[in-house]
Amino acid sequence: MKLHQKGFLLVALSQVTNLWEQALIAQTFVEYGLAGAYSEKTLRIALDELSAAGLITRIDQKLAQHQGQQQLQFRYQLSDFGRLRMIDTGLLAG
Amino acid sequence: MTNLSASGALLKQALHKHYARNQRWGFMWALWTAILWGAWYVPGTALWFESPYVDIPADAQSLRLAATAVMTWVHAITVFFFLLLWNLVLGKVKDYGRTMLRFRKISKWYALASLCGGPMAIFGSYMAMGFIGPVFAAISSLFYPVIGAIIARLWYQEKISKRAAIGMCIIIFGGMVIYGPSLFGEMDASNPNAWLGYIGGIMSAIGWGSEGAVAGRAMDVSDPDVGIHCRFSFEILFWGMLILPALMLFTDLPIQQLVIGTFTNSKAMLWITLAAACHAFCYTAFYKSFSLIGVGRGEAIGNLYAVFALIFIAAFTLQLPQWYFIVGLVFTVLGSFVMFSEPAESVAQLRDHEASANTNQTLAAELP
Repeated sequence: MKLHQKGFLLVALSQVTNLWEQALIAQTFVEYGLAGAYSEKTLRIALDELSAAGLITRIDQKLAQHQGQQQLQFRYQLSDFGRLRMIDTGLLAG
Repeated sequence: MTNLSASGALLKQALHKHYARNQRWGFMWALWTAILWGAWYVPGTALWFESPYVDIPADAQSLRLAATAVMTWVHAITVFFFLLLWNLVLGKVKDYGRTMLRFRKISKWYALASLCGGPMAIFGSYMAMGFIGPVFAAISSLFYPVIGAIIARLWYQEKISKRAAIGMCIIIFGGMVIYGPSLFGEMDASNPNAWLGYIGGIMSAIGWGSEGAVAGRAMDVSDPDVGIHCRFSFEILFWGMLILPALMLFTDLPIQQLVIGTFTNSKAMLWITLAAACHAFCYTAFYKSFSLIGVGRGEAIGNLYAVFALIFIAAFTLQLPQWYFIVGLVFTVLGSFVMFSEPAESVAQLRDHEASANTNQTLAAELP
């Protein structure tokens, strides 16, 4: 069975040093067969929540053109606390 | 050079807008919690005036508590269906299944949250109502954000700024002004069972306060819409598979008759459906606010239910609240504004972790 989506975002980030959110969203779209602006916004909100909770940190940001509009995009990195919480919740082997 | 600083300024502006939007949404969700919680009191109270509940004498305490357990279970089942509809529309039903299945590491926290918020807090609140009075029950519940904020602070270092703490105190004080004067008419020194009411009051404050902090632990790694659905799934199981069967087996209480009586009375079911609609979206908003503004702030704004409950009751019964309601209202609104006036950037990072030292504030400050 697939992981729940927030779990997948954390696992994807744990496998790289850092990642721009567009790349992370593209990976999630492929994994769950998603598409469209609604799913994209849902994933951005999930990333905001993970960041507010301190599991991931924003290490860079940029303004980029996206679907004809200027959009604020972040580069995310898993924090040490996030790694610890992933181990606690069985998303990462200790 | 000029272009570089102009783009830097644009980026800084965009960042501030982003954090401010998240903060606004967090407070809006918390405000919806308060509005719907207040609205819930109307059908929740009306239910007691329908069969089979209206026939229970006021002094039959054990029967009243059994009736409370039955109505809470039926209510939880109805909430479950509203949340199923909600998650179907949002396309999160599959994620609900995936989260529920990870019981040992994730959804167990929602199970614990349902124990804190259901049997502990609701049962405690009814004990406070039954053995002392509804005003005491309402006042003791007002303290739940303090418990939630303390647990969240000690357990996972949630940041509570001085301004947030002051706002929280002002809101609690406002709630006490609204309900406090009526308390004098309710306290009876000769009541030998009053201690049960005090225990109930403490149970409700600890139950609701700890629910937020416990659920927050699971919401670190899961979705709030899915989380609340898990929480109610477990509450149905606790009442339906443990508490009610135990009451049936070990007492003479007419649990079966109460269940059948509730399901077969269309008016009782109508009130339960309305109450469940309020509670389903009240709780959804509650959990969504936690992940954006934190447990302490979400619960403190949620405390505005004290104001909305009286407004809704006044609207439906045409009984105007006492003059001191206005004073309490001023305090609660003032407290909310004090909390909302925190810089958006400080709410963007809710926890104190050395690991996340590279915070959004630092990022924002580094920009030209």
